[in-house]
Amino acid sequence: MSAPASRTRIGARAIVRRFGPVIANDGIDFAAAPGTIHAIVGGNGAGKSTLMRILQGVDRPDDGSVILDDREVRLTAPADAFARGIGMVHQEFMLVDELTLLENLILAREPVHAGGVIDRRKALAEAERVAAMAGVTLDWQMRVADAPVHIRQILEILRLLYRGADVLILDEPTAVLAPTQVRELIGLMRRLKAEGRTILFISHKLDEVMNAADSITVIRRGRAITTVLPGETSKAKLSEMMVGEPVELPLVHPAAPHAGVPVLAIDTLVARDGRGLPRLGPITLNLYPGEIVGIAGVAGNGQDELAAAAAGLGEIDAGSIRMDGRDITRARTGSFRDLGIAYLSADRAGDGLCLSASIRDNFIAGSEHAPAFSKSGLLRLRAIHEGARRALDTLSVRYGAMGDPVKSLSGGNQQRVAIAREFERKPRILIAAQPTRGVDIAGIAFIHRQIVAFRDAGGAVLLISEELDEILSLSDRIVGLYGGRITGELDRSDASVERVGRLMLGEKAA
Amino acid sequence: MIDPLIHAALLMTTPILLAAIGGLVNRVGGIVNIGLESMMLTGALVAVIVSADTGSVVLALLAALVAGGIVGLLMSLVVTRLAANEIIVGLGFSVAVAGLVRFLLKSVYGVSGTFNPPGVVMLPRIDIPVIADVPILGAILSGQDPLTWFAWAMVPVTAFVLARTRLGLRLRAAGSAEMTARALGLDPLASRDASTVFAGAMSGLAGAHLSIGVVGLFNEGITGGRGFIALAAFYFGRNRPWRTALGALLFGFFEALQIRLQGRGVPAELVQMLPYLIVILVLTGLGLANRRRSGSSS
Repeated sequence: MSAPASRTRIGARAIVRRFGPVIANDGIDFAAAPGTIHAIVGGNGAGKSTLMRILQGVDRPDDGSVILDDREVRLTAPADAFARGIGMVHQEFMLVDELTLLENLILAREPVHAGGVIDRRKALAEAERVAAMAGVTLDWQMRVADAPVHIRQILEILRLLYRGADVLILDEPTAVLAPTQVRELIGLMRRLKAEGRTILFISHKLDEVMNAADSITVIRRGRAITTVLPGETSKAKLSEMMVGEPVELPLVHPAAPHAGVPVLAIDTLVARDGRGLPRLGPITLNLYPGEIVGIAGVAGNGQDELAAAAAGLGEIDAGSIRMDGRDITRARTGSFRDLGIAYLSADRAGDGLCLSASIRDNFIAGSEHAPAFSKSGLLRLRAIHEGARRALDTLSVRYGAMGDPVKSLSGGNQQRVAIAREFERKPRILIAAQPTRGVDIAGIAFIHRQIVAFRDAGGAVLLISEELDEILSLSDRIVGLYGGRITGELDRSDASVERVGRLMLGEKAA
Repeated sequence: MIDPLIHAALLMTTPILLAAIGGLVNRVGGIVNIGLESMMLTGALVAVIVSADTGSVVLALLAALVAGGIVGLLMSLVVTRLAANEIIVGLGFSVAVAGLVRFLLKSVYGVSGTFNPPGVVMLPRIDIPVIADVPILGAILSGQDPLTWFAWAMVPVTAFVLARTRLGLRLRAAGSAEMTARALGLDPLASRDASTVFAGAMSGLAGAHLSIGVVGLFNEGITGGRGFIALAAFYFGRNRPWRTALGALLFGFFEALQIRLQGRGVPAELVQMLPYLIVILVLTGLGLANRRRSGSSS
């Protein structure tokens, strides 16, 4: 397949990709040698996914080029990249649930007899061949719909092998796996490497990267900061390189010490994710009025479940949540909201906003029965319009008309609509999950000021963020979350990138 | 007593079965075809016209097949290329074709309702000697027309093509995961269009069976909602050809029973309702069974 003499099987030379004023890739260089596992690490928005799209031929660089077998190439389309042996396993699997594993494997490359009848014996032999190559055994007649998620992932990898790929790009492949399955996947990656294949391993789980990779390229803000060997670095050094120095935002003043009773008390809570896997807990965490508690952690360590549980949306197995001492563990989501818990979801398109509905409708969503907005079952349109206009003006939301769909707004303005809706309810607790994801720099500063103002007015904030900068600049207390458990707590005055980084990586606070 | 009923039941099953097989393939490909009725109606009219003009049954069937296929293609393109809602488009085609047929009869042939040109050649009956005299078996196998044989032959053929061929696999992929099919380099919309053309062609034949297989003339109400009964048959069959055939047979049987029950003291209108009532009962029962199954598994 690949020329064994080449020193770079796949790489990038000074790749630049701009989207309007945003520079997603700002001169990225890296080189993965054939027969190696090359990790690419970086935080959210570092430019990893843009780079992957370019390597896959989905997107084209504005400047610089992709390197294949030591030569600069222009990839014109995904099929072009594939013809050169590059295949990718996306986070969203590309499988047909209704078909069997075997049918999915051969789909679009079916071995056939005359007349288009599928040669089942040959298909099965090919399937066994790629499975043996990867050192796995599968029940080929199982439907994908019945297959567990790690089997689906293996199937995706085997399909790339079946179709002849020798560069495998794996995008956050361990995000969906349990720890033992992660070990199996890494074993599979090593066997493929021994076969001479090249693997690009995109991840921000540094444990796995340190364990599996032969070399590691760190990307931050669109630039490849460095490429290191695992033996020359440490998780702490990597995380520091990923995050960089925290941006100083001189707007936070130390809050008053905790006064007596926590407004929100989470006690030995255990929760599951949407797939029913245990992801969180047991954890115990108190939130006091007038403070921002930052939850620091790498994605997939229980943050989503903690946010959902605190907002009354979680699948809670055990433990309790109390507000002002009152048990609300099993209360409906609406009760959480009525009691004064506001929620900014990390998933704006999913449960944060209704993107296709108008700005006005989003603004009153959940408050449509409030006397201010409705009377005898009919909406008071003028009052709603006035209320929305006032609230949106306060937050400087830039919009066309009140009846426009929310999806017509930029990410930052969408988030402001969500904040306007939540603050209109006069909450006492704010659960802010990734509050600035997809928001531009000016919007980030604005949202940060809103959060701080809420805290200064006596509100309690649970801030969950993968952006370490954000955690460090806003939080009064920082709690590390790793593997669904709290690894330690730092006071604002004791916090540093290194110390928080250690908490994020599961090392207990010193 | 029982032999004529069996024979009639099979005769009534044929158009439902033809359209249901077409609709099944269409649904596997990702389109629920509500417009089968319009394609049947087209086939029924075209078959009568061509049969009367040429005196050839083969040409009449071919014409019905092609005409149904063309209506199917038009409907499919509207759904797949203009991203229109398949239910609305299917209903629209049913209504529009019915109106167009009425207009054509009036403007071209100067008749309304029924079109009965001279010289319509009917489908032949295939009598099988010896077996014809065996009770029950004779009623099943002997004296059937070629379309009936064709319809039943299509059941295993469809099952085989869907399960075992490249064509069938790609159609199933196109129907259940369009994005994935596209990502793998397939053209799911083309597969989908092909499946609708097939559904149209099969429905065209179903219409021809009604007009030149059963009565020998065309009437604007000739399809009598059989396109929708075919829909019920492949829903009953859950995309499985043999189960779908069983559903078609069930509805065909009640159709035949209904005809035999007429003139026996029960009001004709009530008796005529029977097959449709059975459709509702069967689908309700199916829904309940589905719910129980999903309820017990969770």
